[in-house]
Amino acid sequence: MTTLTINNKKYDLDLKGHEILLEVLRNNLGFTGTKTACEESECGTCCVNIGGKSILSCITLACDVADKAITTIEGLADGEKLHPVQQAYIDHGAVQCGFCIPGLIMSSKALLEKNPEPTREEIDYALDGNLCRCAGYLKIYEAVIHAGKEMKQLAGTNKN
Amino acid sequence: MLLNPLTFHTPTTISQAAELYSTLGGARILAGGTFLLNSLKLLKRKGLKTPKNVISLKRIPELVGMTADSQGLTIGSMTTIDEIFESPLLKDNFQVLRIVCRNISTQPIRNVATLGGNLTCRYTWTEMPAVMIGLEAQLHFIDNKGQASSLSAEEFYKAAAKTDKILTHVRIPRDTKAAIAYRRARKSSNVDIPLLSLLIKTYFEGNRFTKTHVSVNNCVAFAQRDQVLEQFLNAAVCSKTIAQEALDHLDKNIYDNRSDEYKQHIFRISIKGAIEELITKQAKKS
Repeated sequence: MTTLTINNKKYDLDLKGHEILLEVLRNNLGFTGTKTACEESECGTCCVNIGGKSILSCITLACDVADKAITTIEGLADGEKLHPVQQAYIDHGAVQCGFCIPGLIMSSKALLEKNPEPTREEIDYALDGNLCRCAGYLKIYEAVIHAGKEMKQLAGTNKN
Repeated sequence: MLLNPLTFHTPTTISQAAELYSTLGGARILAGGTFLLNSLKLLKRKGLKTPKNVISLKRIPELVGMTADSQGLTIGSMTTIDEIFESPLLKDNFQVLRIVCRNISTQPIRNVATLGGNLTCRYTWTEMPAVMIGLEAQLHFIDNKGQASSLSAEEFYKAAAKTDKILTHVRIPRDTKAAIAYRRARKSSNVDIPLLSLLIKTYFEGNRFTKTHVSVNNCVAFAQRDQVLEQFLNAAVCSKTIAQEALDHLDKNIYDNRSDEYKQHIFRISIKGAIEELITKQAKKS
């Protein structure tokens, strides 16, 4: 048995060793928010967060991350309350067809947790692995900047 | 399923990994996985044979991390490109590694791709081989009997980057006097298909180049030095025209002559740009 920790919950799975994390998330566990597209590490739609970093689940063996905490897009909202990054994407009209958005949100979250006030260049660098075929990047940048401010404010509130 | 069935091994020590590697014929080493997993998928799609055993190095803590002292920088083979990029140890000649890492692929790849994987996967589109040759790095290995050995990056690529040992770490000598220029040209800003990786290291004595190292990758079969260009530069005096003249003194035998005109043009202007950068930096100094 292999135990995966996903969104703070443990899942015991009978894995053989060759299963890709993306397949396990979607097919075995129903986390279909993580999208399948290129399957060869080009597009970023399958990004999840592991150890605070944005990771491509299409080139990760599930057994190789058995000892790590995995966060998928489904793990971001707190009940009905969306994560500040999710809310900012909606508020700024950053979602067009929406297919790339789970991956973009996971990469944005990884960036903003490390650096809530990124420059345009830093956003470019952190999101360079996430392609949006609707080319809605300007709104995405606006959403990331706004979400960073929200997250900083929230962190300050929680400290106080 | 994207991959054919395989047995997944998770050694926790270097010696366990080396022993598994030597006893399981045809096993593949899994470092960051950015090259291996895509290639295993491709082999499956083409109906070709895939390895039965994969050995992950992720649970071996000694392979991760960076240390620096007055003599040099040591980088564990499982240190990721992003960890190198973020490291505060990149001073002196090691600063070039920040530019190199910044240019590698995309953030989710940099988050998992490792130095060791980049150096040993024997894939053409890798960035570190030319850089490590240029920085005169030494690669350190451990075999299945626990014996440590090392060889220079240059020797490693002369032998076509083949090894049956585990790469444990890379040691780069510290150098406060070298002038370094690095260039990377890629086919597109979105998809990381490099046309050229180039590192030129030299020591200026007045207006002359000395002990110049020119290492190239991607436009050649395996990363290597262009010793014809090195000899030309070492015999030359810095001038406004020297970068252009240097293009007539490339080792034509090592570059990929099958490249199309555009590709050849790109790597020629990259070489020229790197030489001009060195000359400009030197002029500002003096």
